Amino acid sequence: MFSFVSRATLMKIASAVMFCAIATVAAVDAEMEGMEVDQRDDGTFLVGSPTFYFDRALGSGGLHSESELWSPSKIRQRLLFSRLSVLPSWDVLPPLVWLKTGNELGDLIYQDFITTEDRPKNRTPILEGGFRSPSFKGFWVTARGFQDDHFSTRTFSYRKKMVDSEFALFGENYPMFSSVYAGAGYTGSQLNVSALAGEEYLWLFYESSRWIPVHYKPRVETRLDYGKLAATVVYEDAEYQNKKKKETGSRKEWNGSLRYGCGDACRKGFLHLSAGVAFRAVDDDGTVYSSLEDDRVLLPFMEMQFRVGNRFAARASFAVNDRDWLVQDSIEFSPAVPSKSGITLGVKNISGTRLNPMADTREFFDGDTISLTADGRMDLVQGYAAFTDTVGNLEMGGRGSFWAEYGAETFDVEKYVVDDIMVYRHGDIGRINDWIKGVTGELWMSIWYKEMFVFKALGGFERIDGEEKRFEVTPAEYFASFSADWLLRKSFRISHSLRYRSDAQWNLRSRDPMVIKGDWFWDATFEQQFPKQGLYLTGTLLHVIGDEVVETPNGAENHLRFVCTVKKTF
Amino acid sequence: MFVWMKTIVLVLAVAGFALAQSLPDSSNVQPLPDSTKTQDVAFSNLYVSIEGGEKYPFGDLVDAVNNTFYAGLGIRYTYWEDFDGIVLFQYAYFEPHGKIPRINGVHEASGKLGLDYRWRLISPIAFGAGFLCNWTRADYEGDKEDFDFGHDPGATLTDNETEFGWFARLNLPVFTLNNYRAGLNVLWEQVWTLPERSNMLSVGLYVERRIW
Repeated sequence: MFSFVSRATLMKIASAVMFCAIATVAAVDAEMEGMEVDQRDDGTFLVGSPTFYFDRALGSGGLHSESELWSPSKIRQRLLFSRLSVLPSWDVLPPLVWLKTGNELGDLIYQDFITTEDRPKNRTPILEGGFRSPSFKGFWVTARGFQDDHFSTRTFSYRKKMVDSEFALFGENYPMFSSVYAGAGYTGSQLNVSALAGEEYLWLFYESSRWIPVHYKPRVETRLDYGKLAATVVYEDAEYQNKKKKETGSRKEWNGSLRYGCGDACRKGFLHLSAGVAFRAVDDDGTVYSSLEDDRVLLPFMEMQFRVGNRFAARASFAVNDRDWLVQDSIEFSPAVPSKSGITLGVKNISGTRLNPMADTREFFDGDTISLTADGRMDLVQGYAAFTDTVGNLEMGGRGSFWAEYGAETFDVEKYVVDDIMVYRHGDIGRINDWIKGVTGELWMSIWYKEMFVFKALGGFERIDGEEKRFEVTPAEYFASFSADWLLRKSFRISHSLRYRSDAQWNLRSRDPMVIKGDWFWDATFEQQFPKQGLYLTGTLLHVIGDEVVETPNGAENHLRFVCTVKKTF
Repeated sequence: MFVWMKTIVLVLAVAGFALAQSLPDSSNVQPLPDSTKTQDVAFSNLYVSIEGGEKYPFGDLVDAVNNTFYAGLGIRYTYWEDFDGIVLFQYAYFEPHGKIPRINGVHEASGKLGLDYRWRLISPIAFGAGFLCNWTRADYEGDKEDFDFGHDPGATLTDNETEFGWFARLNLPVFTLNNYRAGLNVLWEQVWTLPERSNMLSVGLYVERRIW
């Protein structure tokens, strides 16, 4: 009756755990690459701008958001002040040409003639266009221009005073980012190399809660992948300014990484190894609003994966330098269970002196120096158990976990400064030198019919307790989500998701906590597909039924919006 | 006057039903019994058309702009056996209803993308729906800096304004000859504006030619 766990079953268990523990990214299209968090429905995801959001999956444990934590898997992501982000993505897409535009819905248009009182604020668009040519003997060229004007209106007048231009490649909406790049590359069987150069405007969110304008002119990124070797080198010439205070500054920065993973012999064995180094070096001049200790950081790291049969797996990554260290590891055990089902028992640990050892170490705010590092260390331990079972076209699973964290990073506020609608803070990054504990539970089920239909339902709760509740964000306690993906006649896609998140709260960015009320949200994508021609026409509605509220301190309203895309593959 | 216009529209629509002729293409194909199976017939036929007619604001929008004429181009292509893809580009010039200082009118360019369903029950009439994107800009006098965006009626239209929406339409073919077809389009559109959504009805005649 009972059979040993096969590799397929193990994969199923792994996928179930991944499903519950890491992400249930809805198939609804994101408005822009890297904005998938806005459609996440498995925890607390609060968006104040494309360049700043809080993203924490309910079952991930600890108090930090995912983008605050450095890991070797993120070495090619963008460092936006102290957070790692996919957006603005300089990842080269497959050969295709695409155009995208969208808008926060609710402009006046003809209503302008009959609306003299309580006129709604201007709604703003997104624009994106790009291509990557087919390969000619392995060589290709690419270009991309993209900017997201959403989330810009509320802070428009405040930010406009800080810069001496529209601070965008197009339009006058002072978008939170605007980027263009072009380049060329070569793709062969073993070798992949590319070089891109462009210009970029970004508004970055600092620990003081200020929006800081950064103009990269130019930004150059080169990548090389040769077998198991991956190298990235980036040069950024960044200009800083505050026109209101007549301040200007510049930062010339080199950053990148080198990583080597063991080859085929290693893949066949029980031990997988990879090692590398991430680096940054900066040269600041004039008024730059943060600094990096010694103007450089070098972070060697190593990753290990150890597997015994199909039952036991251990993973670990270590990163250490003269200032910081960070260890992330997990051990998983999968006992024998009937086929088409699986159980995983695991323990995960994160320990380190800093969540992101690559980030700047100090911020300067009106004569005050904000320390972005804290003495001591943090330790997070999480134990979890997950199960999955499949009956015909029905799959169901669940995951429960307990976590405890000591020394969680927080902010020791000294004072708040109110400036019209903006609130800033003085103080330093600190720690909660006490145990914070949490218990989580998630249940999910999935039903499908051939390639045509997949329905998923997911629900979860979390209870967090501790003596000291100085969290930056108190996450939502529970959520529920229902999503369905249809592929009609293999060429018309409808993806939509309906979800609920309970209240979340920002605690340390203003004198009174900022409560983000729980709400229902609905997103939907409609797509005409022409697989033979490689043509895709897509329309996406985002944030349809939720209240249009500000979700992060000094952020902007998360409006109902529509995005349409035309994509042609080669 | 407006009531009469609407009556004419309804008469035209009913006449369209009565006069509607069979389509030259595969409009009698039955829906596929299993929607996971289909033949890839995308773009097996393609048609282009010119169209002209009138647009009528509805609801509170009648106090904002007057009826106006529109003209446009259309593309229709086979998507599935019983569905066509439709792409419409239309232009209209709206005059404000009542006097608006310094604003003579508004240019509107509209792009529409959707599907026509050739439902056997109402054949040869096709029912369609999709998304639209309207670009607008005022035909105004003076500098846009002279307008107070917070208060002056029409001020936001002195800059480019774009808004999305959805539409539903009836495509009523009336006359068919070889590769040509003439007919009536009756289209309802809703633009997602605030503080209220903006609704319009347009009725137009089209002449369509089959390209392949």
